[in-house]
Amino acid sequence: MFKTFFFSELKYTLRQPMVYIFLGVISILVFFAIVSDNVRIGGAVGNIYKNAPYIITIYVNVLTIFGLIIATAFFNNAALRDFKNNFNEIIFSTPLSKLGYFFGKFFGALIVATVPLLGVYVGVLVGSAMAPAFGWVDAERFGDFYLATFVNNYLVFVLPNMFFVGAIIYAIANKWRSTVISFAGTLIIIVAYIISGTLMSDVDNETLAALTDIFGNRTYSIHTQYYTPIEKNTLSPAFEGLILWNRVIWIAVGALILLLAYFGFSFKEKNKKVKAQKVETKENEAVFSFPELQFQFDKKTNWLQFKSFFYVNFLSIVKSVTFKILFIFSAIILISNLVGGFEYYGLQSYPLTYKLIDLINDASGIFVVITLVFFSGELIWRDRDHKINEVIDATPHQSLISLSAKALSLVGVTTILHVFFVFCGIIYQLLNGYTRIELDIYFLDFIYSNLILYVIWSGVMIMIQVVSSNKYIGYFISIAVIFIWEIVLAILDIQSNMVEIGAGPSLMYSDMNAFGPGLKSAMWFNLYWSLFAIICLLIAGALWNRGVVTSLKEKMLTAKKEVPKSYKILTLVFTIAWGAVAGYVYYNTQVLNSYRTSEEQEVLFADFEKKYKRYENVNHPKITDAKYFIDIFPYKRDVLVKSKLQLTNETNEPIDSLHFVIDERWEPEIKIPNSDLVVEDEEFGYLIYKLNTSLQPESTIEIEINTQYITKGFENGRGSTGIVNNGTFLNNFEILPSLGYDSNVELSDKNTRRKYGLKPKDRMPELEENCSESCMANYLSDGRSDYISVETVISTTKDQIAIAPGSLQKQWEENGRNYYHYRSDHPSQNFYSFISAKYEVAKRKWNGIDIEVYHDEKHPWNVDMMLDAVERSLKYYTENFGPYYHKQCRIVEFPRYASFAQAFPGTMPYSEAIGFIINLEDEKDNNVVDAVIAHEMAHQWWAHQVVGANMQGSTLMSESFSEYSALMTMKSISKTPMKMREFLKYDHDRYLRGRSSEVDIELPLYKVENQGHIHYGKGSVILYALQDYIGEEKVNTAMREFLNEYKYQAPPYPTSLDFLRYLEPQVPDSLNYLIKDWFKEITLYDNRMKAAKYTKLSNGKYQVSMDIESYKIKADSIGNETKVDINDWVDIGVFSDADEEHLLYEERVKINKPKITFTFEVDSIPRKAAIDPRRLLIDRVYDDNIKTISSE
Amino acid sequence: MNKLTITNLSKTYPNGVKALVDVSIEIENGIFGLLGPNGAGKSSLMRTIATLQEADSGSATLGDIDIINQPAELRKVLGYLPQEFGVYPRITAKQLLDHMAILKGITRKSHRKDMVNYLLNKVNLYEQRNKSVKSFSGGMKQRVGIAQALIGAPRLIIVDEPTAGLDPSERNRFYNLLADVGKDVIVILSTHIVDDVRELCTKMAIMNLGEIVYQGSPQNAIQELNGRVYRKLVERKELEMYAQNYNIISNKMSGGKPLIHVLSESHPEHGFEPVTPNLEDVFFSRINTSNSLV
Repeated sequence: MFKTFFFSELKYTLRQPMVYIFLGVISILVFFAIVSDNVRIGGAVGNIYKNAPYIITIYVNVLTIFGLIIATAFFNNAALRDFKNNFNEIIFSTPLSKLGYFFGKFFGALIVATVPLLGVYVGVLVGSAMAPAFGWVDAERFGDFYLATFVNNYLVFVLPNMFFVGAIIYAIANKWRSTVISFAGTLIIIVAYIISGTLMSDVDNETLAALTDIFGNRTYSIHTQYYTPIEKNTLSPAFEGLILWNRVIWIAVGALILLLAYFGFSFKEKNKKVKAQKVETKENEAVFSFPELQFQFDKKTNWLQFKSFFYVNFLSIVKSVTFKILFIFSAIILISNLVGGFEYYGLQSYPLTYKLIDLINDASGIFVVITLVFFSGELIWRDRDHKINEVIDATPHQSLISLSAKALSLVGVTTILHVFFVFCGIIYQLLNGYTRIELDIYFLDFIYSNLILYVIWSGVMIMIQVVSSNKYIGYFISIAVIFIWEIVLAILDIQSNMVEIGAGPSLMYSDMNAFGPGLKSAMWFNLYWSLFAIICLLIAGALWNRGVVTSLKEKMLTAKKEVPKSYKILTLVFTIAWGAVAGYVYYNTQVLNSYRTSEEQEVLFADFEKKYKRYENVNHPKITDAKYFIDIFPYKRDVLVKSKLQLTNETNEPIDSLHFVIDERWEPEIKIPNSDLVVEDEEFGYLIYKLNTSLQPESTIEIEINTQYITKGFENGRGSTGIVNNGTFLNNFEILPSLGYDSNVELSDKNTRRKYGLKPKDRMPELEENCSESCMANYLSDGRSDYISVETVISTTKDQIAIAPGSLQKQWEENGRNYYHYRSDHPSQNFYSFISAKYEVAKRKWNGIDIEVYHDEKHPWNVDMMLDAVERSLKYYTENFGPYYHKQCRIVEFPRYASFAQAFPGTMPYSEAIGFIINLEDEKDNNVVDAVIAHEMAHQWWAHQVVGANMQGSTLMSESFSEYSALMTMKSISKTPMKMREFLKYDHDRYLRGRSSEVDIELPLYKVENQGHIHYGKGSVILYALQDYIGEEKVNTAMREFLNEYKYQAPPYPTSLDFLRYLEPQVPDSLNYLIKDWFKEITLYDNRMKAAKYTKLSNGKYQVSMDIESYKIKADSIGNETKVDINDWVDIGVFSDADEEHLLYEERVKINKPKITFTFEVDSIPRKAAIDPRRLLIDRVYDDNIKTISSE
Repeated sequence: MNKLTITNLSKTYPNGVKALVDVSIEIENGIFGLLGPNGAGKSSLMRTIATLQEADSGSATLGDIDIINQPAELRKVLGYLPQEFGVYPRITAKQLLDHMAILKGITRKSHRKDMVNYLLNKVNLYEQRNKSVKSFSGGMKQRVGIAQALIGAPRLIIVDEPTAGLDPSERNRFYNLLADVGKDVIVILSTHIVDDVRELCTKMAIMNLGEIVYQGSPQNAIQELNGRVYRKLVERKELEMYAQNYNIISNKMSGGKPLIHVLSESHPEHGFEPVTPNLEDVFFSRINTSNSLV
């Protein structure tokens, strides 16, 4: 019996086109992801093979979400088909077995439901075969196939996921026998999935998140998070670790649900509820007479009909179960997001209105799309579905009236959703005691970014449904238009917002700069798309098919005959208006402000390199002095720059020509006395001036470069976020042409480079001992300058303050503008920022240095703490490293378009997004806001006083040193040693994650090539551990002496070997291995606490005994790891609490064999035993270092 | 005087089914019965007149309204009850009728209210006016359908199989209502129930396979058969033999045995007895021209 139903279900479903359509869709999607770099499924591929087991698994996992919707259809149909066809009474009266029927159909559907996901395999196999054969992608980017990848993915992910989802859907379908409720079940699953995702955003909950992920998707990413490229290329997923547990849990849950459904399943008809009849009291019999009627068919009637249609449609959505379910689930998502708050490195940001707006827009997006797609179909086909269409169609209303009412009801319900979200947001703000509730911002954001989008999509969706011959085709086209069109555009490399429906620059509200530079453009695109939507509606109104459904061709014929002239004129008027707006938008976004698509940009970079790389090593003079005259017009978004530069020939040969690379956006005008422009390449902006008299060694020349940025009209994107109404932030490299060929613009990704026939990019020059020539340039200014003085006269509007490097010499008002004259106090790196905004200024003096925080008036909260942090840094750094050479330390807030802080000499621009809006009210200890300040402050020494030569290892002395310095200022105020582990956790994580997605090869710390995860993550961990092992003073002494030798010195610049030269004497012989292990090689530890017990002793103490496993691992540059003999000092310890806050006992022990047992006594009850309790060593899996101690 | 003129209307569906074959009828005020078996093309004809379906060729006019080319004009004077009349969920009878009244161009609220109440009373649903139509029984829904068809002052009322699902008393009530309004306007009643036509209509047409096979008054049609219809109670196994030898127009069971009616110019003897023809005989004789057993 089971077999009969199993195979009949299989046969039936496999005859349906649906399964093949989905199989095809997934195959094509994956195929494109393989053969094109423009299509991405779940992130970039990087250094891994395009067909690596890891990549295939990611594809399978991501597409499972699509598979979910498909599975719903299969399982729902399996459960409901007999009922839908009213076949149930026939089939259930036969003596068939319930068991066979129920499970036969289920497993039949299960097998079929997994078929579409096999499209991943088809896509990968076909893509991997075709791409190299046709030369689309280089053969080098493909590795071996592993059968296990396919088999295991199917067994580990595809089958269990479909089983679990299928069990739920099948149970729901059998219980309620309603397709709508089945799809609601799908929604529940999606919501559960998202909630488990929010748990994951907190690193502490990783295990929980891994187990709660119903698809095992995040379980897999957690499992593989520290995978090296080689592991990603060769290891197939398997039932192991958390993946095994996750799968066991969810298969069990699925089986349980299925069993419950089975026992609840009955062949009997559902009993229809019989409502008790209410006894109606008879009303007074009214007198009925046929009224005198007046008929009217004019505007007023249209309006009345519109209102009535709107009311009927709107009510039908709002009262529908689907909408209620959507509403509830979107609310759940929003609320679960709100409960998580706005986390930032363990801190919370204030619930600013714009934070809530971001969150609401994120949370509501998917529901708005579902609502619009689903209900557009419902509304258009509703009359037919309810068989009232003929009656309605035969009434004398205009189709346009009815369709507009439908469109407006879609807009209405989505608006309700949004308003509800805003309401939740406001409640959340109030509950958090936050009272600066900006209703106007909520409202404007709704209008700018939401309402108009609802209107646009409603119009478009309605048209799609009207021209489709049934609802499901309509759904298919709608979804294709939303998702697939975007992919097509990406493949065609079209980025104009004029062709992607509803597109426009995305707005980002900032407290400093409101809706920002993209607003004007966004409004024009909104107008453009709104008119488009109206035209769609008009077309839909003309094609709307009354009565019997006909083909599109017939609809058009009918429309031609029946549409009145006035309607045609109306359509024409809108089309002309749309055309006019399109023309204007086109002129602004393509002609006035042309842009390059990402592919054009790539081509340009590639060609530029091919053409001009030959000039890379020409001699050029250095900038030795700079004067700037800058006028900022923030409200016009214009900047005028005049600069006077002194160039000095520091080479040994005469220089006869000057090379410049210009940014056409800045319209530079270069004045060089006694010279001729001999090369002017407008395409690439490459200029060569020939000097009539060569610049001799040691002689100088004065040149003048004037540039300007004039904002014209509006752009396709948001436009410059550097030049804005409030918060202009520029640096000298942006405003001036670069002096000669700059290898920084070269394409860096080796695969992209190969596409354009370029060899992999030159790596950073190799670390050299005793270098002379190679050390003449540092990695920041690359030989274009050393330490120079700078002077600036900068002006801005009357209501703003302008900031340039150095001390303020003079300030005055002229022509209603503010003028400032700044001059640097000490020669510094030629790396300066120019800023203008409306600021409040908080000041403090410390040992003759002005500490200043320039901030927006809305963000006063953390200013005092920032002043403290600067002061604390100054104190620690001056005591430990050496004097500070500027007369001021400025923290300057800039709008949140970027979220970083950056150190210019004496000035540290700091994003609105990361420091100023974080709630530090309850933070007694150090925190990440302080850490960022301490890091940027440390750069005033490390990078600005001493900087490495342009070769491997140089960022050790800037980024690693700064990160270490920051950790040390934090340690200086940490009350417990465990607090530091929280900070180190982020650095460990950064390194381990970074190395697992390494694009090039991993190098040891002393040869780091400007790789963030190594110089920030690993560098800080190692230096921090080092000071713990050899002593803070020793490390600081090495750094101080190194600094002393090189600070503000003319080239040659130092290398990491120069630093090691200072470090080595500080390291005792017993720990000498650390320099080799930590700096010169890649060393990892794999420490495990195998067992831990304690016994209470008669003297009242507790004896702890722990079994430890410890391995030392050496990794090579591509991630191959080998275990080596261990003979190292490692900490062991016990905590007195479960939260690991109180370290009861710690001892540094020598571990000289992999398995070792330690025994010691402590005074009070130990709770947890740990190896390396403060997490000093780099260990891919740290969790297994700690175990709860059991008593004996 | 209202006059609906249909001339040479033809319609063939894409699958080759001929729904209408050169149909021409003229209809004046009063109730016009359109009789025919299922699939005869009645609904296609009705839909075409109700502007819900395009014809391949031919014309249809109501007075000076060209139905095919001015559908919007016709809709202003049309009341239509389709064969399958469904309703929106979650809407009351009163709301539905009010919505329909607005669509039919009754802009004044008080007029609509009076009209809706009047009609609800007429179809005996006034008590249930604030209940969800979806919860109504089939008969009640049908009555709502009738009420909506009468909203406004239609000059042409088309009702397609209106009495299906009505109990006898509801049916009577409906006929009275129809007879009431049918005095001054054209009512086209499509049905396969012969009694409906006999009781209500002064003019009728019979359709079969897309063609009009008879048009005129029911009385004339019956008269034509006078003295030509005979009947006999036969054995079931003999049916085949009778079908070969006689022009059987109908057979139905009577006391467990087939009772056959045959059409014959002279008395067929062999136990046949003459009967007074009724409209049913007309119907069957018109549609059953192939002499097959039905």
